Amino acid sequence: MDLNIIIGGPQGGGVETAGMLLIRATATAGLQVFGVREYHSNIKGKHSYFHIRTSNKPINSIKHPADILGGLDPETLATHFSELRKGGVVVYDEAIESKSLTRSPSIDPAKAKRLRSALTEKGIKDTVEGLREYLKGEGVSVYAIPFSKIISNVLKGTNIQIERTMNTAITSAILSILGMKKDIVYDAISSLFAGKAGIIEVNRKVADAVYEELSTAEKFQVESAKGEDDKKGHEEVGKRLLLAGNDAVAIGKILGGLRFQTYYPITPAADESLVIEEIAKIFDNEGRIIGSPIVVQTEDEISAVGMAIGGVLTGVRSATSTSGPGFSLMVEGLGWAGINEVPLVITYYQRGGPSTGLPTRHSQSDLLFSIFAGHGEFARIVIASGDHREAMEDAVKCFNYAEIFQVPVIHLLDKGLANSVTTVPVPSIDIPIVRGKIVDGGEEYKRFKLTEDRISPRAFLGRTIQWYTGDEHNEYGNICEDPVVREEMYRKRMEKRRMILEELPDWDKARFYGPEKYDDLLLTWGTTKGAVVDALPELNATGERVSVLQVRLMEPFPADYVSEFIAGSRRVVSIEANYTGQLAWLIERYCKINVDGKVLKYNGRTISEDEVLNGYRRIKEGETSVVLTGGE
Amino acid sequence: MAAEWSSDVWPDWCPGCGNFGILSALKLALSELRINKREFVIVSGIGCSGKIAHFVRTNGVHTLHGRAIPFASGIKVANPELKVVVHGGDGDLLGIGMGHFIALGRRNIDILVVIHNNGVYGLTKGQASPTLGKGVKTKGLAFPNITEPVNPILLGMMSGYTFLARGYAYSVEHLKDLLKAGLNHKGAGVLEVIQPCPTWNNVTTTEWVSNNTFYLKDWKPLVEKKEDLAQKMKEVLSMEYGDKRALGIILEDNTREVYQERVTKLNEIYDKYPPSKQKIESNGRILPISFEKTFEKYLI
Repeated sequence: MDLNIIIGGPQGGGVETAGMLLIRATATAGLQVFGVREYHSNIKGKHSYFHIRTSNKPINSIKHPADILGGLDPETLATHFSELRKGGVVVYDEAIESKSLTRSPSIDPAKAKRLRSALTEKGIKDTVEGLREYLKGEGVSVYAIPFSKIISNVLKGTNIQIERTMNTAITSAILSILGMKKDIVYDAISSLFAGKAGIIEVNRKVADAVYEELSTAEKFQVESAKGEDDKKGHEEVGKRLLLAGNDAVAIGKILGGLRFQTYYPITPAADESLVIEEIAKIFDNEGRIIGSPIVVQTEDEISAVGMAIGGVLTGVRSATSTSGPGFSLMVEGLGWAGINEVPLVITYYQRGGPSTGLPTRHSQSDLLFSIFAGHGEFARIVIASGDHREAMEDAVKCFNYAEIFQVPVIHLLDKGLANSVTTVPVPSIDIPIVRGKIVDGGEEYKRFKLTEDRISPRAFLGRTIQWYTGDEHNEYGNICEDPVVREEMYRKRMEKRRMILEELPDWDKARFYGPEKYDDLLLTWGTTKGAVVDALPELNATGERVSVLQVRLMEPFPADYVSEFIAGSRRVVSIEANYTGQLAWLIERYCKINVDGKVLKYNGRTISEDEVLNGYRRIKEGETSVVLTGGE
Repeated sequence: MAAEWSSDVWPDWCPGCGNFGILSALKLALSELRINKREFVIVSGIGCSGKIAHFVRTNGVHTLHGRAIPFASGIKVANPELKVVVHGGDGDLLGIGMGHFIALGRRNIDILVVIHNNGVYGLTKGQASPTLGKGVKTKGLAFPNITEPVNPILLGMMSGYTFLARGYAYSVEHLKDLLKAGLNHKGAGVLEVIQPCPTWNNVTTTEWVSNNTFYLKDWKPLVEKKEDLAQKMKEVLSMEYGDKRALGIILEDNTREVYQERVTKLNEIYDKYPPSKQKIESNGRILPISFEKTFEKYLI
C-alpha cells in the first residue's frame, strides 16, 4: 500500500488541522506517514496544503500522482486536480459547486492565469461543477458531499461557524472512504484537541454525521488500510514519536543537554525554539525534574548568536536556531566563535533565497554559504541531516563534536525537514554525551594553550581567570600580532579540520544505500535523501544497478571517503534542491572528478520520489542537467 | 591593593587617554568591593575602550563591535552567579550596538554598562560618534558634524535601565564610587563616563569638561515606589536638557524586577538551577529522560 493524499484550502482556514488529523489517524492505525506542508508567507487567505503519503513501508518523501484530493475551497481543486491519478478520488463540499475555480481574491494572478489556460486547454468550464464533469470523464470518483448542511445540523444551537469544522468533515470523509474505523478518527480528534473537551465533542459529532452520510457510499480500494493489516503494522512499528522536523531537532537538543537557546523569530526555524520553551521541564521516570532549558527571544540574530556564545563560555550547551537571513546576520559572531574556538551550535534551516526570497519554501541553496560564511579562515563543522531521525540524533552529535574539537558546528537543515511531519521510533537513551577536554583551570591558566593535539583544555567562566578576544591572541587569550604566534595559532585552529576528518566515524560522513555493486551512484544530501532513497527499489527495477550516497559531513569535506564510493561507479549523478549543484561543486572540487549529471530543483518545492525517477531517466537518456518543476 | 587587579598586559592607550582614569577607577572599585576575580567578567566591545578587558586581572571577554551586551547577557543569563560588567565606547554601544543597548534596559538584566564617551571613533582616526554635538568639528572631521547627538542617560532611562550615572574619567575617586554603586545595584545600569580623547577630540577637553559639567549635590536619585517614577523621570529630563551635564548618580530605580526574577516567575527551577548548574549527562550518556513525561504529546 502506498497512498498519497492532498488536502488544501486557504491558509488559516483549518488546513493544518485537517492534515494533522489525517496524519494522526494513519499513524495511529500503525501505518508509516510522511506529510509535506506547503504554505505562503501569509497568515490568512492564501492557498496552502498538506501532501500526505502513507504506506506500510518506511517512507521519507511524497510521491505523485496523488490518490485523493480534499479541497476546502475551489482554488485547491483547481490547483491540484492535475496531480491526481486516474481512478483517484476528489472530496469537497457540494455548496461550492457553482463557484469559479480561479477567481478568488486571494489567488496569485500568475497562478490564476496559468490555471485558466490549463482549464481552457482541457476544455474545462471555470467552475467546480465544470471540473466535476471533466474529472468524471477521467475516471476520478467525485464525492461532492453536502458538508455545509451536515455541519449546520450538528452545530444547531451553537455559535460555531461552519468553516471551523469543515476540516474535520472533509478529513472524516476521506478516512471513511478509505474504510478506516471511526474509532481512529475519534482518537485523532482527541489527541489533536487534547484538553479542549468542548471542541473534541463538536468535532466527534461532525465525524459521526459524515460517517453516517457516507455509510452506504462506495469505498476506495486500498487493501491494507483496514482490518488485520492495521494490527500487523502496529506491532511492527512499536512506540513512535509523531513530529515535524522542528520538533525532532528540539527533542534532540534537549536529549543532548541543551540548556540555553537564543533565537529571533524567523520561518522556518522559530517553531523549534517555541517547542523547547514549552517543554520547559525535563522529567525522569519517577517524575523528578532533571533539567530545564532556558530560551531567550533576542532583539535580532546578531544578539542571538552573541548570547548563545556567552552561554557556551559559561560551560552551558547553548545554541541558536535560524534560517538564511538570520544566519547572514550571525556570520560575524560565527567568526568570533571560530577564532575563539567556541563550541557553539547553530541550527540552520535553509529556505528559498536570496534576501527574503521564498520565506516558507524549500531550498538547499545555502550549502556553500554555510561552509564559507565569515571572513578569514577557521575550522567549523557542517553536518546536514537527511531525515527526522537523523536530525534528532545529529542534534546531540553536534554538541559532542563542537565540544570535542572546540569549533562552531552548523547543523544544516531545510524547510522540507522543518515542516514535514512523520514518525520516528522512540530513541534509546543510550546516547553518548562527550564534552571533550574540560578543566578547572587553576593559576596561570591558558585558554589557548598550544598542545600536541591542538585542543586546549577548556575551563568555564567562573572557574578560573581567562581571556577571549576576536583579535589574534597568545595562549592566554590576550591580543597578539607577533607573526610567529599568529602562525602557531592559525595552524592550531586550521589543523582541526584534518583531526575532524580523522576522528569522525564514517557513518557521520556519508551513508550508503542500495546494492553493494552498482553502475550508477546518485549523490544527494539533506532531506532530498528521502525521495532518492525511497526511489531505490524502482530505480533498480529499470535494469541498471543504482545506489545512493548521502553526504552528511559537508565541512570539512570527507573527500577520501566519498571518493571510495565514486570509484566503484560508472556514472555519478547529483540530486539536490538548488540551481548550481552545490554538492556537485564540492565533489568536483574535493574529489577531483566530474559529476556526470545534475538533477536540480529550485521552484521552492521539495523533490518527490517520482521526480527522482524522472530525473534519473532523463540523465540516462543523455541530459547532463535536469531541472525538476513539480509541486504547487 | 588595586595593583593585584592589574594584568600583565601593557595598556597601549595614548598618553593622557581618559581610559587610564576609567581603568584605575575600575581596579579601585573592584578591590574595595572585594570582588572574586574568578567570578567577575569584563565584557567589552571594539575600539580603544574594548581593550580594557585585557588589562584587568579578571575574566575578560573582548567581543565584537557593538555586541558586548549580547555576549554579556548570554553569560549572565546562563550563569547568574557571575558578576558581569560591559565596557564599550559611545560609537560601539550607541552606534552599531544601539539595538542591544535598548534591549538590555528592557530586560533589566543585572549588568552594568560603562560607556567610555569621548565623542569620536578614536581607533579609526576620529570620526564623529553618536554623542558628538551637532555643529561640532573635531580635528578628524572634514566638516562640522550635521547629526544630532544622543544622550546616553536619557536613552538609558527610556529603555528601562534602573541605574543611571555619569562620571568623568579624570575624576577617579568619584568615578570609583559610581562604579561601586553601579556594581552593587541589582539590575541593568548605565554609567556614562565623559572621557577626553587627547589625540582626536580637541573639543571635549579638560577645560570643556570643567566649564560644562557639575557635580550633583542634594539630588535624590532613588525611586522606591512605582508612582514616584514618572515625576523623577521628568526631573531627570529637565536636568539633562540644562546647560551643563550632571555628574553623579542620576537615577536608581528599585521598582522593577530584574530579569532573573522575571524568568523565575515563569520557571521556578531557574533560581536554584540556572543552566550553568544543571547536569546534562550521566556516566557519559544522556540523562535518564522519561519520554512519556517529557515529550508526551509526540508519542503515539
